[in-house]
Amino acid sequence: MVKIMAEKKHKKETKAKEKVSPKQIAERIKKSAEIMVKQIEKQEDPEFTTMQRGKSNVVWDEKKGYLALGDKEIKRTFLNIAHARKFMQTTLIMQKTQDYLLNNKTASIREIYYELKHTIKGTKENTFEGQDESDPIIVDLEHSVDTIREKLNLHANPKGTLYGNITLKDKMHNNDKFNASKLGRGGWSIMSRIEPEEIELLETDAEYLLVCETEAMFERLIEEGYPKPNKCLLIGTGGQAARGARRLIHRIHEELDLPVYVFTDGDPYGWYIYSVIKQGSMALAAHSEFMSVPDAKYIGMTLDDVKNYELENVTEHMKEGDVKRAKEMMAYPWFQNKEWQDQLKKAITQKIRIEQQALANKKLDFVATHYLPEKIRNNEFLP
Amino acid sequence: MSAEKTKKETKIKNNDDEKAYVIKKAAENLEKEFKEHSVAEFFKKNKQMLGLYGKVRTLTMIIHEYVSNSLDACEETGILPDIDVKIDELGEEYYEVTVKDNGPGISRENVGKAFGKLLAGTKFHRLKQSRGQQGIGCSGCTMLSQMTTGKPSKIITGQQGKKPISLELTIDPSKNEPKIEEIKEIEKEFRGTAVAAKFKGVLYRDSDQGALEYLRRTAIANPHAKISFRDPLGQKIVFNRTQTVLPELAGEIKPHPKGVTVDDVIFMGKKTGARTTLSFLTNEFDRMGAKGLNELKQMVDFDLIKDPKQLDWSEAEQIIKAFKKIDFIAPTTDSLRPIGEKQIQGSLENIVKPEFLTVMTRKPTVYAGGYPFQVEIAIAYGGGAGRKVGEETKMEIMRFANRVPLLFDQGNCALTKAIQSVDWKRYDIKDPDTSPVTIFINFISVHIPYTGAGKQAIADEEEVLEEVRLALMQTGRKAGIYIAHKRRESENQQKRLMFYKYIPEICSALSQITKANEEKLKKNMEQMVLTKLKIEDEKNAEMQKQAEKALRNDENSVVIKEKKPKTEKKEQHNTKRKK
Repeated sequence: MVKIMAEKKHKKETKAKEKVSPKQIAERIKKSAEIMVKQIEKQEDPEFTTMQRGKSNVVWDEKKGYLALGDKEIKRTFLNIAHARKFMQTTLIMQKTQDYLLNNKTASIREIYYELKHTIKGTKENTFEGQDESDPIIVDLEHSVDTIREKLNLHANPKGTLYGNITLKDKMHNNDKFNASKLGRGGWSIMSRIEPEEIELLETDAEYLLVCETEAMFERLIEEGYPKPNKCLLIGTGGQAARGARRLIHRIHEELDLPVYVFTDGDPYGWYIYSVIKQGSMALAAHSEFMSVPDAKYIGMTLDDVKNYELENVTEHMKEGDVKRAKEMMAYPWFQNKEWQDQLKKAITQKIRIEQQALANKKLDFVATHYLPEKIRNNEFLP
Repeated sequence: MSAEKTKKETKIKNNDDEKAYVIKKAAENLEKEFKEHSVAEFFKKNKQMLGLYGKVRTLTMIIHEYVSNSLDACEETGILPDIDVKIDELGEEYYEVTVKDNGPGISRENVGKAFGKLLAGTKFHRLKQSRGQQGIGCSGCTMLSQMTTGKPSKIITGQQGKKPISLELTIDPSKNEPKIEEIKEIEKEFRGTAVAAKFKGVLYRDSDQGALEYLRRTAIANPHAKISFRDPLGQKIVFNRTQTVLPELAGEIKPHPKGVTVDDVIFMGKKTGARTTLSFLTNEFDRMGAKGLNELKQMVDFDLIKDPKQLDWSEAEQIIKAFKKIDFIAPTTDSLRPIGEKQIQGSLENIVKPEFLTVMTRKPTVYAGGYPFQVEIAIAYGGGAGRKVGEETKMEIMRFANRVPLLFDQGNCALTKAIQSVDWKRYDIKDPDTSPVTIFINFISVHIPYTGAGKQAIADEEEVLEEVRLALMQTGRKAGIYIAHKRRESENQQKRLMFYKYIPEICSALSQITKANEEKLKKNMEQMVLTKLKIEDEKNAEMQKQAEKALRNDENSVVIKEKKPKTEKKEQHNTKRKK
């Protein structure tokens, strides 16, 4: 009972965060700047406050089922040799994002870097020497005003593809309505910024969403005509899922109430892709509530598949780095369940991995005709 | 050298039976040859041994001879030296050197001896702190000039109350006798000596080992002298005197028993007026007391009544052996004449113009048991200190022996080795090779332990190395405190610049976001930076005060010299400009 209440309350909070308008975000930035101005007028060292990131401030929220950021704050002040330059850069990013928000402009993180880069008067120094200087400041600002990059009207490079019978509306482009199964075999390129005020999810007849690690498997399933008869939406992430893809997976799950199944290579790298989709990443722990899908399930590949589907002769040898990674993952709190400990142990002892494409060893269409349908029918998932 | 050569030739030529005869013959020839050789001819054939190698080096050595001669002459007669040096380029590797002083002048009788007779100086076999232990003397220059150009040296000299004379002088190498020609009286008031001589096979370079650097350093070590120089391009440089008091003349001292050789004992015995060895030893040696003599009596197998003129080698050897065993009091050191801390400070400030300077004259001490010596150290930092190489400033080492600059053989010198043995990082000189530092070391002794005939490097005597090292560390500590202070100060300056440059960017951004007044923001931020840095400056000053206090309690013999007002002024100026 208590748990349900808590979940409801949490959903409400998330909804509130989701619904925050660009104007409101701009207002938050302005407030933060006004505090600095006041400090300066009082001859106090102006401060910028944001959340500390990285492992030391990431906590595993077991109740919510995702990684979350702890409450450690960091303050960046101007009168500090180590901070002064970053402080200056922060004010520039604040000003520019506020400008985007008020003028309904969006920009890639590369574009904002170029827009702000210039030589500081009287010096040979640039405001930003490279994008690697501006990117972390953007993340700082996201955390400082408690939102995600996308709501600062900023986006990273797009990556990932959507296919299947789902109708979307692009509000930023003549309110175009389109169906992701009618765009040819290539599907729809997921933009890096797909906030509800831009892209609306209208309707679908699908019963689940299948997330695929490799583009090759994504293409195979389309060629085999898998999505339509199986009432499935397909997202190819092309390796680790980008922010846009994660946000879309999250939204499809939340807004359309579809279960999410993740299909990756059977190795620590693939399993971690699943983990990020399900529980969030350490780097973006603060954004987990916008992006994670704690209900997601893992469909394969597992090391048990090797035996069950007689794939022994198409396994690959695991590299030392993979073994090390598996050991690390075994220690993560969000991998503390019997099934995953079992998988990781097998990986470490057998030192083998199995790729999605290895299923082609049976037959090209084996994955579409047998592997996936059987697993789904038998409810054969890892948590 | 020629003996070896002859031997070699004979070896090649001869069969066994002829051998004995030929060797005998060669030996006879050699002997004959030696008899005919005068000192002058020896010089002619052994220039290298006298340090006259290298085109640049030779020209510098020539300048050294004339200038030392002038300085000595002036000091000995109580005149503040005014020395003019000119170098004119006459052709390729062909120069004329002119050196003029305001000294006492030389009489007609002595001028030949001074400029035209090798090894005729008065400086041999006397134990006295002097410049003249090095080199070839003025006569050597006369010799070199006529050897390379065939021309005589021109000399004008005038004494007080007498008419000046001009003359041309050469040396007859086989007789080692001066040859004077064209002698004339001049109808002009002049006191002093001017010499002009031409040299071929030499080269003028404005380098670390060139004549200009030699004169610059000479001026530093002789603050009572005014030295002007005109280089071959006609550029004139004047090093003004910063002292109007002449240095006290160094006294002649008796040798200490631990500082003499068998040969010295025989030579001194021949010269002495004493009639017994006993009185000879008592009168002619330093620290020779009754106790020492009694001990010595027990150690030699001859009677000390013996006439010292009759001492033979083995007897002299017994005396030396006894000297080594007997405990004598360390030698008298009051004969040493340092330049003085104040004097060094004055000339370094005048010529090097550093930001900071610390000078120290150490107490005299003794090396090898019998030779008194003393060192003077100065560390100059910032400003004109250091050696400019292109854009960089490197550490400059100025070595002196009895005020004479040592420009060559730096790597071989004990003074350099002492510098290298110090861990300069401890004194905030992070990389001594690339820091704006000038280290001045004057080594003073009645007997400088040179490494070779070139006399440009001091030998690694243990006590010398240790004493110089100690002195460097003591002065280094002072310099370190200043440099650390300076570094903190400059860090503060950099901090201000760094904060300042970001202010316009920040204020522009903040005022765009909040519509706050940009100019007002700027002023406030700048004020904030100044307040913060002022607090740090105060902290820095307090740290400096504490460090200086600690040092004063630590040792009170050292004087710290710092031009505080100058740096303060500079800072105020900068602040104003920034505002």
